[in-house]
Amino acid sequence: MSEVMKIKRRDFIKISGITGTGLILGFGLSAGARDKALTHFEPNAFLKIGSDNSIIIFAKNPEIGQGVKTSLPMIIAEELEVDWNNIEVIQAGLDSRLGAQFAGGSTAIKTNWQTLRTAGAAGKSMLIATAAGKWQISESECYAERGVVKNRRNKKQFTYGELAGDASKLKVPEAPSFKDPKDFKIIGTSKKGVDNQQIVTGTAEFGIDARKEGMLVATVLKCPVYGGKVASFDDSETKKIDGVRHVIKIDALGSVERVAGVAVVADNTWAAMKGKKALKVTWDYGEGASESSAGILEKFDTYLAKNGEIGLRDDGDIDAAFNKNEKAIEAIYEVPFLSHVPMEPMNYCADVKENECEVWGPTQVPGYVQRLASGITGIPRENIKVNMTRVGGGFGRRLMADYAADAITISHQIKQPVQVVWSREDDIQYDYYRPAGRYKLKAALDNANKLTAWYLNASTTSRNLFRGSQESPHTTEVFPDGFPAGFVPNFRMEYTPVKTVVPSGAWRAPGHNATAFIDQSFIDEMAHLAKKDPVDFRLEILGNEDKEMPYADHGGPTYSTKRLKNVIKIAAEKSNWHKKEAGVYKGFAAHFMFGAYVAEVVTLSLDANKEPHIENVLAVVDCGIVVNRSGAMSQIEGGIVDGLGAAMFGEVTIADGMAQQDNFDTYKMIRMKDAPKIEVHLVESKESPEGLGEMSLPMISAAYANAIFAATGKRIRKLPVQLSEVSS
Amino acid sequence: MAQFSLNINAQTYNIDVSPDTPLLWVLRDTLGLKGTKFGCGKALCGACTVHLDGNAIRSCSFPVSAVKGKVVTIEGLSEKGDHPLQLAWQEVDVPQCGYCQTGQIMSAAALLQRNPSPTDKDIDMAMSGNICRCGTYLRIRKAIHTAAKGGADE
Repeated sequence: MSEVMKIKRRDFIKISGITGTGLILGFGLSAGARDKALTHFEPNAFLKIGSDNSIIIFAKNPEIGQGVKTSLPMIIAEELEVDWNNIEVIQAGLDSRLGAQFAGGSTAIKTNWQTLRTAGAAGKSMLIATAAGKWQISESECYAERGVVKNRRNKKQFTYGELAGDASKLKVPEAPSFKDPKDFKIIGTSKKGVDNQQIVTGTAEFGIDARKEGMLVATVLKCPVYGGKVASFDDSETKKIDGVRHVIKIDALGSVERVAGVAVVADNTWAAMKGKKALKVTWDYGEGASESSAGILEKFDTYLAKNGEIGLRDDGDIDAAFNKNEKAIEAIYEVPFLSHVPMEPMNYCADVKENECEVWGPTQVPGYVQRLASGITGIPRENIKVNMTRVGGGFGRRLMADYAADAITISHQIKQPVQVVWSREDDIQYDYYRPAGRYKLKAALDNANKLTAWYLNASTTSRNLFRGSQESPHTTEVFPDGFPAGFVPNFRMEYTPVKTVVPSGAWRAPGHNATAFIDQSFIDEMAHLAKKDPVDFRLEILGNEDKEMPYADHGGPTYSTKRLKNVIKIAAEKSNWHKKEAGVYKGFAAHFMFGAYVAEVVTLSLDANKEPHIENVLAVVDCGIVVNRSGAMSQIEGGIVDGLGAAMFGEVTIADGMAQQDNFDTYKMIRMKDAPKIEVHLVESKESPEGLGEMSLPMISAAYANAIFAATGKRIRKLPVQLSEVSS
Repeated sequence: MAQFSLNINAQTYNIDVSPDTPLLWVLRDTLGLKGTKFGCGKALCGACTVHLDGNAIRSCSFPVSAVKGKVVTIEGLSEKGDHPLQLAWQEVDVPQCGYCQTGQIMSAAALLQRNPSPTDKDIDMAMSGNICRCGTYLRIRKAIHTAAKGGADE
């Protein structure tokens, strides 16, 4: 459908015989002929209405499983006032008219809310104006309903299709009026994923399913130590394999895209995979070969033994407070590297020609891929067409475009369309991991058992340090404004990044996936020290007064204690938190990130071997206005399962500079038997909508660990949880 | 290279491929049946699940030379995409990214063939070879129950 996207707004071009969506219209046709031809009304790049009453809404962002191919069009459809069942949603390609197109930071809903409402409302207002003109009445005497403009005076009506041709002649209003949210018919309801039918029949196109005439398939063997180089290679066995066409040495780009290695290009995937296996490469591992998990942990400890290099916050007088108040706990928390392992392994297609290039595949950052392709090939960006397929999971992995760089580099060299396909081993070995970290915490209670001092000294590998970003290395690793900062009179936060060759990247709920575990676990420790109920303790810290707390990191600029307290209270109530039952153990955690408030309760029981089993998880979520209820619930459920899986099993360890895990036998994933029942409550809200792709994940590890403490008295300070140690 | 005659989705295909080629890549690359997905290459994740004589197998680790019997892929599970599981999956709105779901459905279909009304435990056992990174397990379980009950929701 990318052909469609090239057609500029209100251009009248005659195209015949393309696809089943019913294209297009009459350029240079006589007036009489035009009436019979199919015409389209395109007030903007987001939607298109045909004189045959076809309604197409373009999905602007990459669909990585977060549901935006459904939820973003819902916003347009609402304001356009059309019947959801009568529209067709088409994935757009990269197109500057659509604004920023990426998947990251749970931003799609909140940053597009206004734009998409405007897009839909503009279309509707032009259709109403057209009808009013035809009837020679005022626009206020007309109204739109489910794809029809109606005349209040005489109940006459025009379908949108009947108005499409003439509506195209009007000027597009810049600030059309929006619906009153109380009149929403689509927003706030449950709409099923627009690609569901294609997905369940195997016809949905993911990146790995893209095909192009003459396309070859490539695999790339890269140095398992980041930064390593090919010293020499022997491809004699590879070249004996049927179907292998080229073996190419790929040089480093000098960027974080890890492309250096040896590529095997073949007629089909299996030949390319076999060819890669048959390669004999001698690597120059470089400095990274001495890196290990033990070495990184040692660096953490060296840093944590002294004050952090970067002071992030220093309220009150922490030293005096610790001197004065002896009721205190000091603890070290730890989180491991995690791999992203989206189910669709990394792959990408590129067709690089002399001065133009077409690419397609799974990415969270199509605009970045375009810039990257331009940098590699020297082809100007306007000549690089970026198509978007469905993406078989992102989780932050596909914010990096190294695998796209593979395809672009290889196609550029062999001048043929190429699909690069990574194995699962490649995926885990060449990943940019969730940063590992150790966190020294100390907190004290005053004589009234109130939290009076909180000290965090954190040392982690840093995503921003790794990629050479201008941003401070602590950014997206720790959050100086996160709870309980601002509520504790004496509060200090320090940070030291560990420089390592092991790549760090953004992993679903970056930073929060670690800090919510440590903060919400340590709060629980302090509550127990104070002999207070963990929920009451949190509410006591937040105080009776409702405040807007400053929050400088992404997700701010402020957060509301009223909304945070509200989700905590609802979760306590819905889970019967304060009701104690024999053999039933509960853990609590609540966290704010990216604009949304989530509280979770894990309930577990102990089996005959005293091993904990999760009975259920309850989540209360305030994300403002909910666009798609089914999609929202899905994201919350999925985030909980994903976060639990990471807490139970997720760990990448490093030896000799290489990841020691390389497939699902060594990198364990949560499976159906471990997935608990989940009950989700969405807070009814009129606040502006926030995203939901990440927010239910970060605190589940703490809720789980706190429940384990309630059941066994064993405090989990290190992930993943070792159940054998808990039950012993 | 060697000649093979395969019965896939009740159709006969004569192909010429390397005998060690996994069935997965024959389906995807040779025959263009791309609904069966590549996930791990080692029979660990279930994304490539198809049926061989009614049993769920991992096609990524099943060489084409060993295929003796009738293969059914997601494309052949039902004529019109209306297998009770395919309908239930849509009704329950299971997919997030959607990549693993064809493999999940094929595993579930094999389960229902031998056990038309599975318990939660039966489902957990039968489906634990299939990974969903998005965490749609709860909806998968619900969709299997829905399909088992003939489409009626709980």
